[in-house]
Amino acid sequence: MKRTTRSDFGLCKCLAGLALWCVLPGRASAADLHLPATVEAGQAFSVPLQGSGEATFYLMGPDHVVKRTVKLGSDLQIQSSDVRSAGRYQLILCDSACNSAAFEVKPAPPAHLSFFLHPSRVPVHTPNSIDATAFVFDQYFNLVLTPAAVDFRITPASGAGFSRRVPTRRGVAWMRMDSTPHEGRVQVTAVSGNVQEARVVQQVAAEACALRVKAMPSGNMVTLETDPVRDCSGNALPDGTVVSFTEIDREGKSTVDTPIKKGVARIQLRVHGRAQISVACGVVEGNEVAFHGKL
Amino acid sequence: MKSMADMTLAVKNISLLFFKAASFVIAAGVLATAQSAPQVHLDADGLTPRPIEELTGQTIVRYYALAWREMAGALDSNSAQGLGEEFVGFAKDRLTRRIAEQKQTGLRIKIVDHGHNLKAVFYSTDGAAMQLLDHAQLEIQTFDGNKLLDTQNAPREYMVLMTPGADRWYVRNLEEVSAKPF
Repeated sequence: MKRTTRSDFGLCKCLAGLALWCVLPGRASAADLHLPATVEAGQAFSVPLQGSGEATFYLMGPDHVVKRTVKLGSDLQIQSSDVRSAGRYQLILCDSACNSAAFEVKPAPPAHLSFFLHPSRVPVHTPNSIDATAFVFDQYFNLVLTPAAVDFRITPASGAGFSRRVPTRRGVAWMRMDSTPHEGRVQVTAVSGNVQEARVVQQVAAEACALRVKAMPSGNMVTLETDPVRDCSGNALPDGTVVSFTEIDREGKSTVDTPIKKGVARIQLRVHGRAQISVACGVVEGNEVAFHGKL
Repeated sequence: MKSMADMTLAVKNISLLFFKAASFVIAAGVLATAQSAPQVHLDADGLTPRPIEELTGQTIVRYYALAWREMAGALDSNSAQGLGEEFVGFAKDRLTRRIAEQKQTGLRIKIVDHGHNLKAVFYSTDGAAMQLLDHAQLEIQTFDGNKLLDTQNAPREYMVLMTPGADRWYVRNLEEVSAKPF
């Protein structure tokens, strides 16, 4: 049989005193703060406070600070407006001493999309030329970090639309796609749940294709006119696109730049003797024509 | 003789690979400025969908460190005047509100910043946004007036969204998250 020694007795007294100290009315210990580990943003909840008397309650969140006197032995109401921002919140309760506990506010379900579509103009039929990035936020503009699906719905000006589903990673979904074959507006709509955001990319004709020029004499002059300038998908290059005509005759070399108007480029040149005329648009060279001027 | 040449070539290739891998880890973040900006280390290894340029990495590190220095100063002094241009958007709105409410209640926060390990996790192809995960070592003391209420000393994790401006990067969103892998 174990005998109680003097030192054991002292230890017992000490533990009994500690137990009594713990159950004294009016004390709020850390164990008294029964907080949920996580709370959804904007959700009110209550914290039961043990003990009696009054204490000072502090709540500190990313964008909100509360300080008020509370009665122990009642429920502490945390309002929905107190926990709108996602992040770590610290709750401190002080009477004669202070105790603290923390909880995390998680974002609410998706309610806003921040959507970027890049670039704003792109040539048709270009691989990996369009990038779409969507950031998913909740109604309080917290980034929703739990995975959510984002549908990117692509609606070309002509032809069938299509969509791609991309899961978010850390609140971000992105995809890259080829531009479609036809010029015009392509609308890309990012959709997550009931939320959607649309952006538009303008597809323009790519480089000219099969560029051809014909020469028509008119007195001492020659009129040079291209066929309608189109890309390889048949899209007309926009008016204003510059076409360069180069003429080499006995007087030397001259180049004239002219914009496309109504789908074609046209100039008049004075030609001295035998001349070689070529046409180019951007990086594309067209045909060459020979001409004999009367000068 | 041939094997010697092969070995030399192999060593060269290994060195080149090491350089390529290491070049994405930008360790230019130690800012020993007089205003004691915290140490920030950026790891951009494997960043998608766009790799980071070295100068961009250095700029991110510089302005993220400045942002923390200014935030710590503002939360301690309860004055938003000390906040420069490092915070914009939601991050600035939230911080400004927090400072105003701290001032109203008489609370203040002292942050002893032991440094940040930033991991860049997303960089948009157009360069318009970068998302980073910050493993921070902070000691946070909460005061009511001059009375110390609480001290927290634990690693913290923050999800950070930064966007570029003309000559700098801004902190647009800063959310503390639980220290769990995503």
